[in-house]
Amino acid sequence: EVNTDEQKNTYSVEAVFVWALRWKEDLQQKAAEAFLRQQEAAPNLSKVVYGSVDSDEEDEELGGLFRVSRPHKSKRLQTNSVDCSRFPPDSSLNWNLEEILDSIRDCFVTGKWEEGQDAA
Amino acid sequence: LCINNNMASNGLSYDGCNFFRQRLVLSTLSGKHVKIKNIRSKDDNPGLRDFEASFVRLLDKVTNGSRIEINQTGTMLFYQPGLLYGGSVEHDCNLQRSIGYYLEALLMLAPFMKTPLKATLRGVTNDPTDPTVDLLKSTALPLMKRFGIDGEGFDLKVVKRGMAPGGGGEVVFTCPVCRTMRPVQLTDPGKIKRIRGVAYSVRVSPQMGNRIVESARGVLNQFLPDIYIYTDHMKGANSGKSPGFGLTLVAETLDGCFLSAEMSSTPQGQGDSVLPEDLGRNCAKLLLQEVYRGGCVDSSNQSLALLLMTLGQQDVSKVLLGPLSPYTIEFLRHIRDFFQVMFKIKVQKPSEDERKGGEKVLMTCVGVGYSNINKTVK
Repeated sequence: EVNTDEQKNTYSVEAVFVWALRWKEDLQQKAAEAFLRQQEAAPNLSKVVYGSVDSDEEDEELGGLFRVSRPHKSKRLQTNSVDCSRFPPDSSLNWNLEEILDSIRDCFVTGKWEEGQDAA
Repeated sequence: LCINNNMASNGLSYDGCNFFRQRLVLSTLSGKHVKIKNIRSKDDNPGLRDFEASFVRLLDKVTNGSRIEINQTGTMLFYQPGLLYGGSVEHDCNLQRSIGYYLEALLMLAPFMKTPLKATLRGVTNDPTDPTVDLLKSTALPLMKRFGIDGEGFDLKVVKRGMAPGGGGEVVFTCPVCRTMRPVQLTDPGKIKRIRGVAYSVRVSPQMGNRIVESARGVLNQFLPDIYIYTDHMKGANSGKSPGFGLTLVAETLDGCFLSAEMSSTPQGQGDSVLPEDLGRNCAKLLLQEVYRGGCVDSSNQSLALLLMTLGQQDVSKVLLGPLSPYTIEFLRHIRDFFQVMFKIKVQKPSEDERKGGEKVLMTCVGVGYSNINKTVK
């Protein structure tokens, strides 16, 4: 570990170099934190499925302080929309692009096989 | 035991016409009565549509002793399910929806009848809205086999093809009765070994089929050499009342999982017509999308798989799915309402160097140990 006080005093080339590389120091930790933040932001699927329908009518209160607001309007629209099992495709994927095509290559027998498996 | 409990307990109440079939099917299987209110109550044309009434009539035909009450405006429906009887049933499906709409529900009920079901359904076999009979034949049936529903009489036959809007098609669905569902462990779909398909056309040039096949192959051959797409051109009395064409594609994996996609031409008089080349190419891309979603069950059969898991023996079932469709999410809520079963839902994110599409969802549950009390003991 570099002592910062010493660094200020001596001001050697080496110290500057170390200082410049400081941003790398806790990269792993930063990444871990970012990952956790993202995890929290991404809605928990179980909650999405089972969470919201418990109390349709009354406003739910959290800890007697916050009121859970619900998109009433969208819910109402949904209740009388078409009963259909089709899952509309995700239009953000452009299947003309090589990189998108590449993202599913290994789903096919012609793709890369995992260790310990083979086509035979 | 579980069935008796359900029968004794109170029924359920819902709003609106969406998820109509789920509610009635789960009501029939659980024995809980259901009330659906506010059906298009704010609509200029309120109440049940003809196709929904047709669906209720079909339900009445396969059951014995069901009580159905509809109020005068048709905005409220009460359904007290009877016993699933089965037997030989004929039904003219209302043309507003294709046979797939009716068949999806029948697939869920058929294994639990008292006597084996033989259903002759007439109407629209292929339209762009619902899964077509071709798709259900090539994906839903093999899926049901994994749960132990099998036997000589398990078949779906397209006798006559009838495109929307005129219809005139006919299919025969036969299904043996099952006593219990086998729990399954479908956690790895395996790699896709081949792609099969049907390019159908009626009352148009038989060349349409070939043009569809050619363009679909162009896209899919980038991935796999083993592609075979049949052309199915029905003529005369077997070709229904409206012209049209379409394509159903199915990717089969080494472990016997099926992923599918399909596209039908725009029904006559309902918008811009579509070129067979475009249809073939777009349908092939839809299949790639389905492969990207992945899992052991394709997106249109997710709820069927989840239902059969729920009704399985009291053992753990696991199935890997692609992202859950909005229809499936609602189905899971309904399963909780009718059977008190909640699934463990675990998202599996793809690792960086993996080229196997998007994130998957592992669904786990313990079956309720449903046994077919309707089945005749021999």
